[in-house]
Amino acid sequence: MARRTTKTARKKAARQPQRVQGLGSPRRPRGAAKTFTSRSIPVDFASSRHRLTRADLEISGIFHGESSYEGRIFFNNPKATAATPKTARSGYAGSFHIFGHGGCLGDPGHCEVNEHNRDAFDFRYPHPLTPARKRVNVTKPLQEAAKRGRTVTVTIVPVVTAANRLCDIVNVFRCENMQFVTYD
Amino acid sequence: MANELRMRLGVHNLSSDQVGAFREAYRQMMSINDNRGYNFFAGLHGAPNWFCWHHQQNATSALRMQIFLPWHRAYLYNFELAMRDRVPDITLPWWDWTLGAPRQSGLPAIFTDPRDGTKPNPLLRFRIDLPNSNPPVNHNTTRSPGDPSDLQGQTGPGADGLLDQTDWSDFTDGLEDLHDFVHGWVSGDMGNIGTAAYDPIFWSHHAMIDRLWWIWQARHGNANISTDLLDVVLQPFNLRVRDVLNANDLGYDYAAAQGVIAIGGTGNG
Repeated sequence: MARRTTKTARKKAARQPQRVQGLGSPRRPRGAAKTFTSRSIPVDFASSRHRLTRADLEISGIFHGESSYEGRIFFNNPKATAATPKTARSGYAGSFHIFGHGGCLGDPGHCEVNEHNRDAFDFRYPHPLTPARKRVNVTKPLQEAAKRGRTVTVTIVPVVTAANRLCDIVNVFRCENMQFVTYD
Repeated sequence: MANELRMRLGVHNLSSDQVGAFREAYRQMMSINDNRGYNFFAGLHGAPNWFCWHHQQNATSALRMQIFLPWHRAYLYNFELAMRDRVPDITLPWWDWTLGAPRQSGLPAIFTDPRDGTKPNPLLRFRIDLPNSNPPVNHNTTRSPGDPSDLQGQTGPGADGLLDQTDWSDFTDGLEDLHDFVHGWVSGDMGNIGTAAYDPIFWSHHAMIDRLWWIWQARHGNANISTDLLDVVLQPFNLRVRDVLNANDLGYDYAAAQGVIAIGGTGNG
């Protein structure tokens, strides 16, 4: 009898949806997130021969669905890490900050961005996870880099400030495009 | 009901009576489970309703929908009215993270004291209970603040630089980035969009953001804010962007004085 009850209970349990463990508070994780380094970009446009009042590093298509983090920008320092000082000497050019969504707390598909399916009569707000865009004024460090050489590499070091277990804390910085935008 | 502007004050300038009233408003709101209560308002920002507006999003709109500041002004306005339904003369105080020691070091004590007399301090934490989220969330909010010198070191110069900006787009993007930094500095539940508004310090952090926008507006007007944005509806509130541009039209202002230092009279005046 006892054996039959156990079997029934097992069958019943198999029909029930899996009980998912509750989500705890976000924390500052240990361990390094993956850095990104661009190819070498010619920077003649920022040399003293050219009139330039401002240069921004524009990063578009930034994924912001998981961790919050600081993106530290370094020029010509592909070995930069979270421990690298934020000084001109180390190539530090500025930071941007992402206030992350904290992972998906909805049912399957909740955090999928389907903006391409919209038509002209769709007046709903864009999906909250439509990628973000950040601009960082890098005029002075770029001009300094142009004085020292012909090219610059851009390294982004993500330093995670808040993540829960739904967040990938290695592949933190994800973007579609990055460009320098200059103003005369 | 008087039709005078209600004045928002700095957290660091509140008298003990004002701190008591502020805590009482939160305590009462936290005890209400319907749409007048704290849980309802916190749930509008992130989980489970996700109405908040962050990051200028660039997939479909040429406008880039820079409505981070207007949306949060409407949000705080509604929250403050709900507070005043509980404690009539209360206003939402701002947390000025640019202040350094000895006036402040990191999180203000009114938010970190474990007790309020004989009762728990309602500004310390709130119980998040989202049984229908996936995975479910049920825990007390926590914080994991960074180094206080980083907070002041980053936000002081950052705020000063922003107030000198003359372009709306530069200003709102820059202020949002500073806002993002502070969320990350506090960390814990404040560190992610989904749970941030459940932390009681969220509202005073955003009052500071709103105050900086208001100061910037006093200097630069509305500058070159896109006219195409003005009729955007700030869901789920009964307000459009144009309705929230003037804080005085919403019935509030920010106290101009940061501090009052008593000197005294001659004794025979």
